[in-house]
Amino acid sequence: MVRRFVRAWNQFFFAEQSPLPIALFRIFFGVMVMATLVQLRSDWLNWYGVHSWVTNSTARALEPGTRLNLFAILPQDDHGINALFWVAIGSAILLTVGLFTRINSVLVFLCLASIQQRNLYITHGGDTFLRLAGFFLMFAPAGAALSLDRLIRRWRGREGAGVHPRSPWAQRMIQIQLSLVYLVTFLVKIKGAPWLHGSALFYIYHLDELRRFPIPAWSLRPTVLRFETWLALGLEFCLGVLIWVRRLKYPILGLGVGLHLWLDYSLNIPLFQWDILSAYILFVDPDDIVRVWKWVAGMLARETSNLPAVKADGNSTAAN
Amino acid sequence: MDQALSLLGGLKRPLINIFLAFHIVAITCWCIPIDLPGIGVVRKLVRPYFLWSGLFQSWDMFAPSPKSANTYLEAQILYKDGTREVFTLPRMELLGLSDKFFKERYRKFTDNLVDERFDPMLPDVARHIARTKSSPQNPVKLVVLVFNFSFIAPGPDGSLVSQPWDQHVLLGYGVRPEDLR
Repeated sequence: MVRRFVRAWNQFFFAEQSPLPIALFRIFFGVMVMATLVQLRSDWLNWYGVHSWVTNSTARALEPGTRLNLFAILPQDDHGINALFWVAIGSAILLTVGLFTRINSVLVFLCLASIQQRNLYITHGGDTFLRLAGFFLMFAPAGAALSLDRLIRRWRGREGAGVHPRSPWAQRMIQIQLSLVYLVTFLVKIKGAPWLHGSALFYIYHLDELRRFPIPAWSLRPTVLRFETWLALGLEFCLGVLIWVRRLKYPILGLGVGLHLWLDYSLNIPLFQWDILSAYILFVDPDDIVRVWKWVAGMLARETSNLPAVKADGNSTAAN
Repeated sequence: MDQALSLLGGLKRPLINIFLAFHIVAITCWCIPIDLPGIGVVRKLVRPYFLWSGLFQSWDMFAPSPKSANTYLEAQILYKDGTREVFTLPRMELLGLSDKFFKERYRKFTDNLVDERFDPMLPDVARHIARTKSSPQNPVKLVVLVFNFSFIAPGPDGSLVSQPWDQHVLLGYGVRPEDLR
């Protein structure tokens, strides 16, 4: 029994695999961090400045304890606080392109953690997930593929054409974290009568502050709302638990994508859905990523070959 | 030197295993909504580390019950010359699509402001509004933060029934000259 557990543990966390999923996640993660920072930019000093809505001293009094928070050591003037924004966005860009990946993954995590610790009262679940994923990303071989670091290593002759497989233990931690997000959400929701009775979505859809695009009238009928509420609950359970069943993984991921796209359409919680969706790639097998990439590349090649070629004199002519 | 390096290399896997086992147990116990004595002990033990590292988390969006009222926060402002003004924190339902994207944090902020656990934030908010609205000739003398709400519920046929808007005063703040510096 113990031996089987140890074997399964080692297989799950340490059986080497292509670092493609974690490299793609690094890119998505970097883009989401940039998007979050851009979203905050217009109110940066209102949220984090010396004379912000919540001052540093009040925030620290409300959230006591020693915390990883660069705001605590920054000079308390708006220049220093603005500088943190530019450091954060610079390191997010470098992380996305995979230059000095490890250092920038640490910097991005430090900045994200600090920004959230400084003002926890404006963060949503998507921000929290980015912070948690950023923590484990620091330990991952995120620059092992699809990165400038790898290009430089190849240019210097330190690596060949093939990408070396790596232990995916840090990737697995982000996957576990994501499935816990869904499972815990499910468990908290089933404690609430509106979710059990099937009326929860009635309230959510009728909150004026959350409305984004118009929802079809038929989807607001009581029976449909009840079905939608239970469907959302069921999906959250599946994404928390059944996603680990190999045969069910892709259909559940597909349903999860559908759920988040619908929520992104109907509810104004910018970036939340995309923060979560960014980690779905970690559940996709590297071989399948390569297969999809080859298919897309083939399609693009066919489309390009069908385009009319342009001669140097500017007259176009059919390529075939 | 070589011996030390090989010893470190040999320790790497056990150290990663300890790291993994610790974090899986700690994170699960932290966020799982089950109150068993053992889970409570783990939460207490890991709390300082979680707060420091930023691994704390809670997943209660729209749960256990979603909000059942439309809400917004306004500030009634009295200036030195006796004039009055009502300032409203950005309301998502009144904004265009791009402003909804950039100002959405105000929705979350307003939700937290009316939570009595965060009452110490209210004077900061009043001071921020006073600073923004004051001019040297006509400084703000008083800021009253008012929470507006209208409960919603499904009618017998499932249609929306909204209660009339009601108000609750969160804070009246007399602005001091040093607040405006």
